[in-house]
Order: sequence, then C-alpha cells, then structure tokens
Amino acid sequence: MKDFLEKHGLLILSAAVVLALLLSALSYFSATSSFLHNAAGVVTSPFRAAGAAVSEWVRDKQRYYRDYSDLLAENEALRREVAELRADARQVERDREENARLRELLGLREQRRELAFEAAAVLEHSSSNWTSTLTLDRGTAHGVAANNCVVNAEGYLVGVVKDVGYNWCTVLTIIDTDMELGALLYRSGDVAIAEGDFALMGEGKLKLSYLPSDVSLLAGDYIVTSGLGGFYPSNLVIGVVDSVHTDDDGLVQYAVLSPLADLDGLTQVFVIKSFDIVD
Amino acid sequence: MALTNRDLAIKWGAYAAASLLLLFLHALTLRQVTLLGVMPFLPPLIVAVIASVEDTAPSVIFALAFGVCCDLTIASPLPCLYTLAFPAGALVSSLLSRRVLQPGILRSLAVTALCFATVDLLAMLALSLRGGADFPAMLSLALRELLVSCPGLLLCHPLLMHLHRKYSL
Repeated sequence: MKDFLEKHGLLILSAAVVLALLLSALSYFSATSSFLHNAAGVVTSPFRAAGAAVSEWVRDKQRYYRDYSDLLAENEALRREVAELRADARQVERDREENARLRELLGLREQRRELAFEAAAVLEHSSSNWTSTLTLDRGTAHGVAANNCVVNAEGYLVGVVKDVGYNWCTVLTIIDTDMELGALLYRSGDVAIAEGDFALMGEGKLKLSYLPSDVSLLAGDYIVTSGLGGFYPSNLVIGVVDSVHTDDDGLVQYAVLSPLADLDGLTQVFVIKSFDIVD
Repeated sequence: MALTNRDLAIKWGAYAAASLLLLFLHALTLRQVTLLGVMPFLPPLIVAVIASVEDTAPSVIFALAFGVCCDLTIASPLPCLYTLAFPAGALVSSLLSRRVLQPGILRSLAVTALCFATVDLLAMLALSLRGGADFPAMLSLALRELLVSCPGLLLCHPLLMHLHRKYSL
C-alpha cells in the first residue's frame, strides 16, 4: 500500500482533482451542458427511454388491474365535475365579453398571456436520494433552454430546466434544495420565496420563506410564481400551504407547501420555452 | 501466475460491462422501490466490492473512471461528487481489505459502508457549504440509504466475485 501510494498516489490525486475541477468548471460556466455531459446524455438517452417504457408498461398493468369500483366512482365524480366546469365556462364566456366591453370603455390595455409549450416525456426520475430531478426527452434541438419552467398537464409547476443537451434536459423539481422561486400568495398578493428544503424534500414538500411580518396564511392557500423580474412566468401554481411554522429563534414565520403536481408519478410534462404575459 | 495485458483488458472490460448492467438494472427496477423513504443506490456497492478483491492501483483507477461516468449521468449535490468520492472510497476499502478484513460478503458489507460514508460525507459537506441543509436530516438520509442499499450486495457481490474468480484466478 505504501509503495502504491508512493508510486501512484500523487498521479491519481492529480487526475481526480483535474477531472473534478474540469467537471465543476464546465458545469458552472456552460450555458448548456458541457460536451462530455452532453455526449453522456445523448448516449444514455435510448437506455433511459427503454427504462421509462418498461416502467410505464408495468405501471399501466398495475393501473389496469386496480379495483374496478374505484374507477366507476371516479368516473361518476368526473362527470359531475365536467358538468360544473361547463357551467363555469359559460359564465366565464359571459364575463369575458363584459370585461372586454368595460376595458374598451375605460381604455385599458388588454391582459395577455401567451406561453409557448414543448411537450416532453419523462425519461428518468432522479436516481440519487440527495437531489430531486427529472430527465426529459427534449433538448436544444427542440428549442429548450436552461431556466425554462416545466409544468404538468394541469399547468402546475413541476420545476425548472437546469442542464440541456442535444436531445435531453435535466429538470430540478420545485422540492430540490437548489430551487428558489419568487412566489406570490394568491389570496392576499403577498410576495415570498418558495425554496427547496433538505428535510422536507424527502416528504415531497417545500418551504415558503421571507414572509412579510403581517402575513396571514391559511392551510390550503394557493401559492403561485410571482413573475417578478420577468425571469419566470407569473401565476404558475407552485402548491398549497400545508402548515405554518415559526423558526427556531421564534421570530420568523415560514410555511410548508405541498406541490400540486404529482412529482413522483409524472410521465409527460410541458416545457415553457417562451412567454409573454401582460397583467 | 501474472496476467497478460490482454487478460487484464478482458477482466476490466468485464467489470465495466457488469457495472453498466447493474446500473441499468438499478435504473429499471430498484429506482421504483422506495423503502424508509429512500431508494437503494448501487454505484458505491460496485466500487466497494471491486476494491475489496482487486489490487489497489487498478481499483482506484476504475473507481475514478466509474465516478466520472456517474457524475456525467446521475445528478448530485456537487458536479464532481462521485469523481472525488469513489477513488477515495476505493482506496480506503482496498487498504482495509488487504490489512484487516477476511474475504467474503461481510468484507464487502464493511467496505460498502465505508464507501457510502465517503460519498455521503462529501455530499453533506457540499450541501452544508451551500446552506439550508440540517445535519440530522442529512445523517438520517445517509443511514437510511446505507440500510436500504446493502441488500443490493446479494446481487452485486456474487456477480462481481464470479468475474473476479473467472478472470483472476
């Protein structure tokens, strides 16, 4: 052992340090992923796709054999919900017309919300217990860029694109410890920060911090992206308030949020490639 | 009997293929299994088992290459986490295997724990430096991950030992 360390120790240490520095530097400075990272992603893409296909097949079979009565009950509930939504839609149409008339009367600029989506399949959920990421089958070839927001089919925020390769990208989910988003309490309009927390990540939750001192939060309050700074689109639903706590020093309040997107069960998501929102 | 360069290339090629196969199986099946709130994580097991049966120099170099591959394909709190942790884990594992422990699955278990400790210590350090991660939560995750991953030795140990016997003895 001593001989080995004397002969090769310095060489191996140097190689490890150089490779580590190289990986860190490429990861830090590159707007998209580095060449090596990109190549690894492209090479492993078919395997990840195969894995995702097999997992989805198994999940499909499990779903197929689930209790039939549950599906009947769900179907009935959905029918009722559709009827309610149709009634709401009719009301919305009348409100929209009225809104347009009033805006015209007052000379107000029309509100606009244009989001460009790219549908993507989830190839892989994170393999590590220390991060929460997704790998998608869309990359620079499809116009996806770092910091694009990712939502699910219902429009709930899933995460933000971190690394992009030619035909793949990695998404940091909203519960990851690296995540920090400008957030808005939908009911009161108060601004805060939604951020990943290590202790909460395992429970699939995140933290709402930097709350104003006079804020009143209720369980079930909707939290959306603030869109301040124009970095991310506004009004994407992050989650709902689960519980409200006070920090260890007893001075600062924070809330625990439950994401509305089912992060573990995602198979398809939508990347917001560009947005134009005028509120 | 000393192995020729060709034999060595075949042996380490077989180890690499087996490692990739195990990683693929891990991604396909074990990742869907969550016990105690964590998923089993096989890469440190592979590094540890190989380091416990092979010479120090080649196992550290293998761990370095394997670490780079893992860093390129698996998300981690530090971009170079596995590149740094795996060679260090392999070095410590190899040292202990040669000096202290008897061959067998218990030795693999001990060196696996060491390898996990190296990886998790680095991950904890990275998260602590970044702030916002409390130590008890990280320690709890590290212990649960070790507990849940160790049964993976029942798969890794026989496969890698078979390759070792086939190509080294």
